[in-house]
Amino acid sequence: MNRPTALVNKKFRSTGIGVVQEKAMVVLLAVCALMTIGITLGIIVMLISESWSFFQSKYVSLGSFLTGTEWTALQSKDIEKAQFGIWPLLSGTLRVTMIAMLIALPCGLVTAIYLSEFASNRVRAILKPTLEVIAGIPTVVLGYFAVLVVSPSLQFLSGGGFDTFNATSAGIAVGILCLPMVCSLSEDALHAVPRALREGAYGLGCTPFETSIKVVVPAALSGIISAFLLAFSRAIGETMVVALAAGTRATFTADPRQQSQTMTGFIVEMIKSENEYGTVQYFSLYAVAVTLFVITFGMTLVGQLIRRRYQEVYS
Amino acid sequence: MATVSSTPVDGGNSPHGTGFAAGEYSVTTDNSKRRKLYSRLFYLLCVFISALSVVVLGVLLVSIGWQGHSRLTSDLLQNSHSELNPDSAGMWPSIVGSIFICGICALSALPLGVGTAIFLEEFKPTSKPLKMLHSFIQLNISNLAGVPSIVYGLLGLSLFVFMFNVFGRIQVNESSGTELFGVSHYYQVLSLAGGGHTVLIPQDDESQATISVDAPIQAVDRDGKKFELAIWDPKSGTPKPSDPEVRQRTVRKGQVGGAYSETEWYYLRLPFGKSFLAAGLTLSLVILPIVIIASQEALRGVPPSLREASFGLGATKWQTVRNVSLPAALPGIMTGAILAMGRAIGEAAPILVVLGAAVAKNSGPQNLMDNVVTMPVLIFNWAGRQQAAYQELAAAAIIVLLAVLLLMNSVAIYLRQKMRVG
Repeated sequence: MNRPTALVNKKFRSTGIGVVQEKAMVVLLAVCALMTIGITLGIIVMLISESWSFFQSKYVSLGSFLTGTEWTALQSKDIEKAQFGIWPLLSGTLRVTMIAMLIALPCGLVTAIYLSEFASNRVRAILKPTLEVIAGIPTVVLGYFAVLVVSPSLQFLSGGGFDTFNATSAGIAVGILCLPMVCSLSEDALHAVPRALREGAYGLGCTPFETSIKVVVPAALSGIISAFLLAFSRAIGETMVVALAAGTRATFTADPRQQSQTMTGFIVEMIKSENEYGTVQYFSLYAVAVTLFVITFGMTLVGQLIRRRYQEVYS
Repeated sequence: MATVSSTPVDGGNSPHGTGFAAGEYSVTTDNSKRRKLYSRLFYLLCVFISALSVVVLGVLLVSIGWQGHSRLTSDLLQNSHSELNPDSAGMWPSIVGSIFICGICALSALPLGVGTAIFLEEFKPTSKPLKMLHSFIQLNISNLAGVPSIVYGLLGLSLFVFMFNVFGRIQVNESSGTELFGVSHYYQVLSLAGGGHTVLIPQDDESQATISVDAPIQAVDRDGKKFELAIWDPKSGTPKPSDPEVRQRTVRKGQVGGAYSETEWYYLRLPFGKSFLAAGLTLSLVILPIVIIASQEALRGVPPSLREASFGLGATKWQTVRNVSLPAALPGIMTGAILAMGRAIGEAAPILVVLGAAVAKNSGPQNLMDNVVTMPVLIFNWAGRQQAAYQELAAAAIIVLLAVLLLMNSVAIYLRQKMRVG
């Protein structure tokens, strides 16, 4: 084929440098992207290697860690008497998280339904920024709010039935924290449901209530559930609120009026106690962190699986 | 899908509110009455619960404002934390510290995050293994976004503070690890001039903490100039030199001096120790997934026709990204970046893990390896105390922090609004 010389002889100076530049940029960007995998690897290596030192210690065993119902890592001066059973911390975390979910999930979902199905533009213009402001409030502020307002009002309402630091006030604050997240993610999911479904429902004579609950919410269910799971793992990993408001005694009960040290609360307490690097107590914080990481990582993975597997595709 | 997102949903659902007034439906059975009642009740429930969040926000702001308004004085902004005198304690070092840490955070997280987003959005691979790697990175980022920030704190503690103990452990009040640059070690010896005037003698052996000067030795003055240090022996009977210039350069024989290090602002050592550099880098890990996801959204929002036009003009992929996609996505990226920075300013848990809960610091960081206090850590410390004075201080500090955040958020909202119009 008879092509112009300019196309046959492609060794222009500019393209020569350009190709190299292009390759270099791609490599640079790829390194950035691979860095994120490096972070995950770093987390896993760190957790395994440091908690290895914990389980290697002669004072603890994996079995008693997983089944023990007493956690006295910081209370007992004597390392031989210290008990390392994860259940008090786990139950503390679950108590706080459950209370938070009882507040955040229904309220968040209802607010999302209201925003996407009912709200006029004017109401939305007030409500959405409000939720964004709540989402932007630092968690340490909500922890202070729990200590300053929620806990005293609970004590006032119950006539002193609650401890000063208790699972309920921490749970309420964590619930307030998770609400905007549940709301905005569920609203995205609800928003993605095509109008045709709603119009079909109205056409069949459904009331707005029936349309939202029986048609729109089921259609958006995968998105809503993954929003719920995200909120759940956020609540489990929440730190500053529980460090301020939940108390520092690890209790193994179901009573939400008592103190309850959570996993993250223990990590903060441990850091504050300034135990020296290398002691069993110090390494116990990594064992707690592994538990925390496994739970939240599992939650996010399940959430993504649900989102991918059960997502309804409308096109 | 475009029709759904572009038309507001509520435009189509007139059958609420007045649409349900009695008489509009010709068929009114008990059943339909009940259903309409349910619908009405549900609507009221929705309004009630949605209003609840506004109420909660109101209660929060009012209670904190009520608690802290008396402490919003210039003392709060100018002074530093004081254990003895909570009545005049302030938060100036923590404000400076927060700004510095956010600076480090922005410098490291933004380029990395935007780079990753560009790689994921603009360089879509074609071969199968690369596609798998691509989706793996994507999955990984979504998972990283769900990792609790305190776990990032622990990662920062292992990675930046101790560097997995490769360089030895950081010890309190002792220079350790590998010092790279920005530091000079001296002995500090009292000269004859009196009034606490000292001369500096370069330190050869860093493990030796003290020196006793018996013979003339090379020293440096505060400007870094070298000079020969003279010795005056009281036992020899010679009178003390009278010239103040000479006295400054003379020490008594047998005078003992301690180790002293002078650091420049760029002082760097490995591992980083409990430094603000380590804290900033840790925070950048926390906000990295947020930055990446926001930048990806922004890049996805750039119309493909713009890129195609650029390709059509003969631009390469990177040229297209640099000159077309990135400028077009910039407002969105900026919004995401500001929101991420707001998150970084408010984040306390990772900093608490990396730097500890101590707040006794009366200035901002002096060098990269200096310790630092941030606003959320200070608030955490104050809020955890029993004294009423500290509780009020915590509330006042929260007001300052919220004001900073509100400012940042309004900038972000302004940028988003501007982007939508343009």
